[in-house]
Amino acid sequence: MDPTLWHQCLEQLAEELPAQQFNMWIRPLQAQMINSNQLYLYAPNRFVLDWINDKFITRIKEVLFELHKDQQLEIIITVGAKPLDTSHKPEPIINKKVEVEVNEVLPIQSVKAKREIHHSNLNRSFTFANFIKGKSNQLAYAASCQVAENSGSAYNPLFIYGGVGLGKTHLMHAIGNTILQNKQGAKILYLHSERFVADMVKALQTNSMERFKERYRTVDALLIDDIQFFAGKDRSQEEFFHTFNALLEGQQQIILTCDRYPKEVDGLEERLKSRFGWGLTVAVEPPELETRVAILISKAEQAEIELPYDIAFFIAKRIRSNVRELEGTLKRVIAHSHFTGKPITLELVREALKDLLSLQDKLVTIDNIQKTVAEYYRIKVADLLAKRRNRSVARPRQMAMALAKELTQHSLPEIGDAFGGRDHTTVLHACRKINELSAKQGDVKEDYQNLLRVLSGD
Amino acid sequence: MFVNHMINQLPLNIQLNDIATFANFYNGNNQAVVKYLQDSLQFKNQPIIYIWGQEGTGRSHLLQACCHMAQQLQLTASYLPLTDYKEWQPSILEGLEQCDLVCLDDVEQFAGQAKWEEACFNLYNRVQAAGKQLIVSAALQPQFLGLQLADLVSRLAWGLVLRLQPLSDEEKLIALQLRAKNRGLVLSDEVARFLLLRCPRNMQTLFTALEKLDQASLAAQRRLTIPFIKEVLVL
Repeated sequence: MDPTLWHQCLEQLAEELPAQQFNMWIRPLQAQMINSNQLYLYAPNRFVLDWINDKFITRIKEVLFELHKDQQLEIIITVGAKPLDTSHKPEPIINKKVEVEVNEVLPIQSVKAKREIHHSNLNRSFTFANFIKGKSNQLAYAASCQVAENSGSAYNPLFIYGGVGLGKTHLMHAIGNTILQNKQGAKILYLHSERFVADMVKALQTNSMERFKERYRTVDALLIDDIQFFAGKDRSQEEFFHTFNALLEGQQQIILTCDRYPKEVDGLEERLKSRFGWGLTVAVEPPELETRVAILISKAEQAEIELPYDIAFFIAKRIRSNVRELEGTLKRVIAHSHFTGKPITLELVREALKDLLSLQDKLVTIDNIQKTVAEYYRIKVADLLAKRRNRSVARPRQMAMALAKELTQHSLPEIGDAFGGRDHTTVLHACRKINELSAKQGDVKEDYQNLLRVLSGD
Repeated sequence: MFVNHMINQLPLNIQLNDIATFANFYNGNNQAVVKYLQDSLQFKNQPIIYIWGQEGTGRSHLLQACCHMAQQLQLTASYLPLTDYKEWQPSILEGLEQCDLVCLDDVEQFAGQAKWEEACFNLYNRVQAAGKQLIVSAALQPQFLGLQLADLVSRLAWGLVLRLQPLSDEEKLIALQLRAKNRGLVLSDEVARFLLLRCPRNMQTLFTALEKLDQASLAAQRRLTIPFIKEVLVL
């Protein structure tokens, strides 16, 4: 076996192909050498596989055969993932006479499913202990605790709904983790609704619905996230309906999350909607200020960072939408502090979050600059474009040109054109003039800074 | 009939492939972003990174540099420029979580396309569940991309969100000269300044102009002078 064969091939192809093509189609391939004369190439999906076969396989073969010229080499390209176990030989059996054979094999996870080791998919870091309670989520929290302690008998199903990033998934995992803690060996299964759909499609394709049913109906608790994505997928809903009934009958716990109240999910069967309401339906609301502060401090503690209360308060006051955004913001602050080697102070937070805190994000265009400058100096946009050269309009015009150069990527001739068809040297002169005046005159500098702030939001 | 005896030497039809690496990226004010990206690949400390910045700030270069570095680290990587998404189906995102690193460039392109947004959201979840790394780039922050799927927006904002600062004109000058040097071209200060004054000043356009000049200078066997540039770029 030559572990470097594929690597050498990659290096050569990288030299030959445009970088984008190489990064897009060749890099994702995973290679595995078997018996020193079979090279398996795994494409992540059918689309990539077809593209490779269509555009690149001939060249890949040429390079590989050249590199491996002393021995015979069989190349098999297929959809799937490189098996983790190197002793595993992918299915199906390859026809030895064919150098390149295209086959679709199941990813190794699916192949291994026969030797079922139950994976709960639970994230151990989501617990009740690190869930920050507040007015916005106290009911959902209390219901989740009840379900965790009395799985299958308290509220079944438990339906948690609310906007994105408010902690529904956290509660769900916390319930699963607690059930596991209380009952060793309990079979808990957490998954996103997409996975349920994908599993079912695969089971239908491979004629293994019985195994699919067994997998989903023999668990002690089934946790499905974001069931709004079942909308419009009739076959999945049908199957889920039967799974749901079987679990409920067996007093196995069902926990579902959704981004809205079940009755409001369009494209979901009525019978499912009504069943979702059989147990308990609880909402999580966006966290209020105190909860947001507590969440930030808790997340900082988990990251072993000391976050002063006033700074947590400063961030929480500004980031209101959801917990994910709060976490993302904190990550940014921590990263900024690490990079600059400075402690987390209000000043550092302002610097790290200036884009987020500003209203910038609107695209700055020359039109926008002209409008803003005209408003600022109480003149008309038409004055900026006109031929008049008296100071009351010439200075604002120069200011607008300088800002256009600073804030847009337009060429100087383009900027000149946008100001009534002026030459690029006029733009250059305007920029120099404003620069020069800013150094000498406080009011010009102040005007420039004010306009820059309004336009860029800094 | 007038016959032009001045026949230019035809350049070979081989494009110099500017492999995007960290080494040939001019950082300017973006050292922090570069450092975070490199660290994330090396130490696997940031599973999700979102970089944003206006066109021509080097997002595509950096994403491809990440793929290049991944290869050096013996990791598999996938790069998808979503400017071309209309040529594909959302199923192109299936199974990408098998790669150690997935880079999605210009995700704002499919904003409003429900199937693409959902496919991207599902990919995000699968990458996270598989413990792999995702680097996403866009022109604006996640909240302003015009995505309809709130779940996707909140997940994109959950990672480390980094902004790429545009280069100042002086920095653009250095970046241009660096790119020229990598191509074996001599670009004097004067000529570089001229390009900056007369061309649209985003780096992508400037690099494209440079590429054109490189080809033309090879064909005509001429150095890059202002008259030559004027002639080639019709300025």
